[in-house]
Amino acid sequence: MAAPAPVPIVVDGVSKAFGPVQALVDIHLRVRAGEFLSLIGPSGCGKTTLLKTLAGLVPADAGRVVVGDRVVRGPGRECSVVFQDFALLPWATVQKNVEFGLLLRGVPAAERAGTARRAIGKVGLAGFEEAYPAQLSGGMQQRVGLARALAVSPQVLLMDEPFASIDEQTRRLFQDDLLRLWSEERKTVVLVTHSMEEAIYLSDRVVVLSPRPGRVQQELDVPLPRPRETADVRATADFARLVDGLWKILRKLQ
Amino acid sequence: MKPPPAGESDFGRAGLAAVVGLLVAWEALGRLNVSMFVPPVSHVAVAWWQLLANGTLVRAASSSLASLAKGFVPAALLGVAVGLAMGRFATVRYLLDGWVNALMSAPLSALVPVLIAIFGIRDTVVAATVFMFSFFVIVVNTMTGVRGTERSLVEMARVFGAGEAALFGRIYLPAALPAMMLGLRLGVVQAVKGMVVGEMLISLVGLGERLIYYGNTFLITELYAVIVSVLLIALITSQLAQVADRALIRWK
Repeated sequence: MAAPAPVPIVVDGVSKAFGPVQALVDIHLRVRAGEFLSLIGPSGCGKTTLLKTLAGLVPADAGRVVVGDRVVRGPGRECSVVFQDFALLPWATVQKNVEFGLLLRGVPAAERAGTARRAIGKVGLAGFEEAYPAQLSGGMQQRVGLARALAVSPQVLLMDEPFASIDEQTRRLFQDDLLRLWSEERKTVVLVTHSMEEAIYLSDRVVVLSPRPGRVQQELDVPLPRPRETADVRATADFARLVDGLWKILRKLQ
Repeated sequence: MKPPPAGESDFGRAGLAAVVGLLVAWEALGRLNVSMFVPPVSHVAVAWWQLLANGTLVRAASSSLASLAKGFVPAALLGVAVGLAMGRFATVRYLLDGWVNALMSAPLSALVPVLIAIFGIRDTVVAATVFMFSFFVIVVNTMTGVRGTERSLVEMARVFGAGEAALFGRIYLPAALPAMMLGLRLGVVQAVKGMVVGEMLISLVGLGERLIYYGNTFLITELYAVIVSVLLIALITSQLAQVADRALIRWK
């Protein structure tokens, strides 16, 4: 499973309204190939809408999104999405859940099984292939969601508050695993989060959206050295200073 | 699967005790001769056995069960199909929702004379009554199941390139299955009611006809024997539906 080279994302003047509610206004954003970018902002700032627009799930009213060299008009093969509520098929085993994307993309059964098993191993769930989602903890269920997203070898990984409903200790371990996987197979990652620590810890760059209607308020580079998962980055003064800087931006928006 | 918790078998024992207690009380009242409408339960059992041995029950029950099948199978197939269509397509839902809701709560026995006018006094009327009684609850439950599908599951499948057919077959249908099975379980109970109502109203064939006959001729013991048979059929069909449900939905 050679990971294909990551691709950049260009968001050009995207606006989106749901009836009378203006969700996004004239969003301009460039995500470099292989970059880890976080979208953060107050509740209802349209960050999830923006992510779904990148995924091709929500069509933009104006402007355009380009992933690699494809103008997004619907879901494309280069993107995978990790959902906040995991979006696992409750009637299918872990193995079948992870195979699901491959199945929909027409991968033959034998290849599907092997690819899924490797993805399950990567996220640390080897041995749980035959379990059903209801038998797993929230953290483990989201690992299944990540394995399913990775199994199709995407160039872009879109994550919608993936750790929001996972307890703190599990979340930290999971974040480290995510960073390790990301350094092994470089992908362009866009992460939606409401956690400042999470955004700083994981990202190369944090984009702050303003409350409704969502606009790009500010961008913040995160010059912390990598790999962060092996060093004790959270304990450094730089980390604290960056989180504090992000808080000062967000506080003005409340 | 896990063994049932201790409490469950206690309930089973309590239920059994209640049934035995009722039978003993019934027998005692019957022996005391309080009323001709309360024959001792042992007499009912003897009558039941005699009706079974002389073929009366078998003849009536096989006619009843044939009507049940002829009415319920089409109701299940069509009910699921209509429910899926209503769940998935707003236009179909807007067209049919009012009718389905009205007819689900309507006293459908009132429509049996219409069926008699259409089909004549024949066992087809019983099958049609069974259909009418069970169809709507199957439709409504199937539709509710489809509409209750998690939005994120649909989005997830779309991200992986699922078209309408794949969404339907791989997301909506399995997501609706538990509600659909509930509809079929409720539907089969309704179907047994429809069977008895239809047979009593045409008074020509089946267990319903026997109920009317023994009731009109004051053969109270035989009447109870037939009632017990109807209860048994209702119990067995709903248990069968439950077994099918558990076999299909093992992941819960």
